[in-house]
Parts: sequence; C-alpha cells; structure tokens
Amino acid sequence: MTLNRRLFTTLAASALAFGLVAPAIAAELEDIESAGTVKIGMLVDFPPFGIQDSAGKPDGYDADVAKALADYLGVDAQIVPVTGPNRIPYLLSGQVDVLVASLGVTEERAQKVDFSDPYAGISIAVYGDASVEVTDAAGLSGQAIAVTRASTQDSGVTGVAPEGTEIRRFDDDATAVQALMSGQVKLIGASNIVMSQIGAATGDRFDKKFDLSSQVQGIAVSPGSDALLDKVNAFVEQAKTDGMLDGIHEKWLGEPLPDFVKTAQ
Amino acid sequence: MYQFNFQPVFDSLDLLAYGAWLTVKLSLMAMVLGFGVSVLGAVGKTSGIKPLRWLIDIYVEVIRNTPFLIQIFFIYFGLPAVGLSMSPNSAALLALVINVGAYGTEIIRSGIESIPKGQIEAGRALGLNPVQIFRYVVIRPALRNIYPSLTSQFIYLMLTSSVVSVISANDLASAGADLNARTFASFEIYLTLTVIYFLLALAFSTAFGMIRRVFFSYPASR
Repeated sequence: MTLNRRLFTTLAASALAFGLVAPAIAAELEDIESAGTVKIGMLVDFPPFGIQDSAGKPDGYDADVAKALADYLGVDAQIVPVTGPNRIPYLLSGQVDVLVASLGVTEERAQKVDFSDPYAGISIAVYGDASVEVTDAAGLSGQAIAVTRASTQDSGVTGVAPEGTEIRRFDDDATAVQALMSGQVKLIGASNIVMSQIGAATGDRFDKKFDLSSQVQGIAVSPGSDALLDKVNAFVEQAKTDGMLDGIHEKWLGEPLPDFVKTAQ
Repeated sequence: MYQFNFQPVFDSLDLLAYGAWLTVKLSLMAMVLGFGVSVLGAVGKTSGIKPLRWLIDIYVEVIRNTPFLIQIFFIYFGLPAVGLSMSPNSAALLALVINVGAYGTEIIRSGIESIPKGQIEAGRALGLNPVQIFRYVVIRPALRNIYPSLTSQFIYLMLTSSVVSVISANDLASAGADLNARTFASFEIYLTLTVIYFLLALAFSTAFGMIRRVFFSYPASR
C-alpha cells in the first residue's frame, strides 16, 4: 500500500514535472494592461545578467531589459526573482507573465515555452594576446591555451584543437584568466562575459581569435500568449534597431550587442 | 545504494598510469634536489657564519609558515612579472624543491647538532681532514639519526605534489581530475587515486628502508 502510494506520488510528480497535468496558463495582454503591471521573472544570481544591487534590488542586463519592456508595454514592472530550475514552472503556472531570465533558446525549451527573438547571448571563443596571430583552430597547434576544467570552453577547445596543442586545464575561471594575465599562456578559451570583466583592466591587450560556440537567450512567454509575444517581439525589434540593447549591453558587458544575437532568429 | 561502475577507470588506465609515472618522476626529482638544498641549508645554518645563518633562517621560516598552495601560485603566476616564466611542470618542481628544502634543512640541522662535540674531536685526533670529518664523522651519523623523519617528509612531499594540478601541471591528481571531468565517475576515480597514492607511498617507504639497510646499517654503539 505504502509502495503504491509512493508510486502514485512519483508518477504524479513526474507528470507534473513534464507538464502533463497542469496546463500552461497563458498570459493575456489585455489582463496585463488593465492591471497596470507586468510580472517579470528574472534571475538574480547570474552576473552580469541578473544580480542584486547593494539595496537588494534586482539589477543587471536582464533588469534593464525588463524595465524597458514594461515601459514599452506602458505598465509598471514587477520583478519576481526566479532561479534556474524554477523559472519555467513559474512562467507556466502564471506566477509571472514573462521571463527575462537569461533563458537560453533550445529545442527542448521551445516545446514548453514560446520564445521571442533573441535579446542577448553568450558566446564561447578563443581569446588571446593581440600579438599572437591565430585565426582558426588549426592555428592552435604548438600553442598553450588555458581553459577551465570541465567547462563548455574545455569541451569546445578540446573538440577542435589539432595535434600539438597544449591544453592547460585550471580549476576555475579565475585561475585560467590569471594564467593568461600573467603571460603563462598566450591564449584562453573563455566566454564573452569573463572577457568583458577583465577587459576593463587590460584594455586592448587581448582580442578575440575565433568563435567556438554561442547560445542566444530569448524572452519567454507561456504558450498561447500570442498577443503578448507579438508585443515582446516588437519591443526586441525596436530595442535592437534604435540601439537601446547596444547601450544596455555596453553598460554591463563592455561591448555592443554581438552580431550573432542580432542576426539570430 | 550507489552503483559502482569502474568501466571509465579501466578504459583510461593508461592515462592514470602516465599520471602516476609523472608524479613519481616529479617527486623523485624534488627529493634528490630537495635533499641537496637541505644539506646545504643545514651546513650553512650550523656554520657559524651569522649573515648566512640569518638568510637561511628567513628562508626556512617563510616557507614553513606559509601554505604550499600559496607558494606554488606565487611561483607560477608571480614570477612571470619579474620576467621568470616557466612551464607548469618546472614551476611545480621548483615549488616542491623549495618547500621540502626548508623542512629538510631543519631536520638535517637537528641531526648535525645531535653529533657530540667529542666525536668530532675524536675524528681530529685520528688525523682526519675537515672534509673527511664532515663526511664520516658528522653528516653520515647525523643522517642516520634523522633518517625516519627525513624520509617521512619525503613521502609527505609525494602526497603534497597532488596540489600541483592547480597550476595545470600534469600529475596523477590532474589526470584524475581530467578523467572526472569527462566521465563524472568521481567516486570510482578518486577511490582509484587513493589506492595508487597509497601504493606509491608504500613503494617509496620500502625503497627508503632498503637504502637505510645499505648505507646506515654499520655497527654503532647506540
């Protein structure tokens, strides 16, 4: 009996988790406009996209985009802090109307939520000393390159590196960057976020050699919220063309919105 | 109940074996060079030349009172700032030699000081020259006296060398970490590493016992 009940609970829980029982609650644009507030889910533990300022208020790239989105909709923004694992359930259960939560656009997620056009992106690339001439993976041969052990950039570099590349694996981003800054290696596999953080201190000492992979992030709404999605897409389109996203990106990541985000659909 | 799956470990035994070989090589070189540094340090400390003694005191105290992790970071990331850049493996060796040299200096110094004055005078009375006195009357019995502490310091050095993976040097621990990053079989991998380190320590300990029997088993009254 106990076993049966446990089995039932497990089944129910997994059914819930897979969204089989609870249907997604669509957000109606009219409801948002009449309420005068839009509830926006946002990460606060993912710098520099989502952080908390010294007063404990959500801040960062996502917060600026969220506020701009609310302005565009002509309503107040009510920012709801979410976490990586619970952000999609928050959206599907109607606790937030939209997610501006650095949600990477993937096939699996696109089956559960509706994505807007990309508004941000993270790219992994090989960076290095401006004096080193490397333009593609073949150029890595004979070079020492630092990566963070077991990271996306580790598998990215390991995947393309030709014979004779010396891949030096460090335990965290900080140590790998330290190896680059101290001159122990001339190249590093890193994300644009990490490089923007050290860009302020190093100026033009390092530049990007070639891209490894990139992931775009979209604003997400519940399936069926078509009017809202159209409005969000119009917002993203306008923010891209009038330079607003460039400005926000420049503020938080030290460079205008990358081209792979602008061109991705 | 955790299901053990040692297949990833078996598939990469060559990787681990190579890592173990590098750990042995690194440790052996550090022991030999570190022994040299220790003897020189101990001789300098007991020489009675004051400035030399102070210099060695500073070296020993600084190294023995700071964490090895900081020392190796300093050597690998700090020295390039003054134009001294070396490979991770060389930096690891240098850090280990400097570290074990400081501990060894103190150990051997205590051995030298354990030699009674009368024994040295007896050597002089027998007409031995200063080099002979140092070799047969001072350093050999001194090493014999402190042999167990010195060799356990050396085994500790071999275990400490597992830290060098932080500067991306290749050793057994870093081979394990790379394998772990690929397979996520953490428990199996670190269990295997534990066994390998234990066997290595046992092998070193046995080798030290044999060296002891060859070099330090002459008759002694004590």
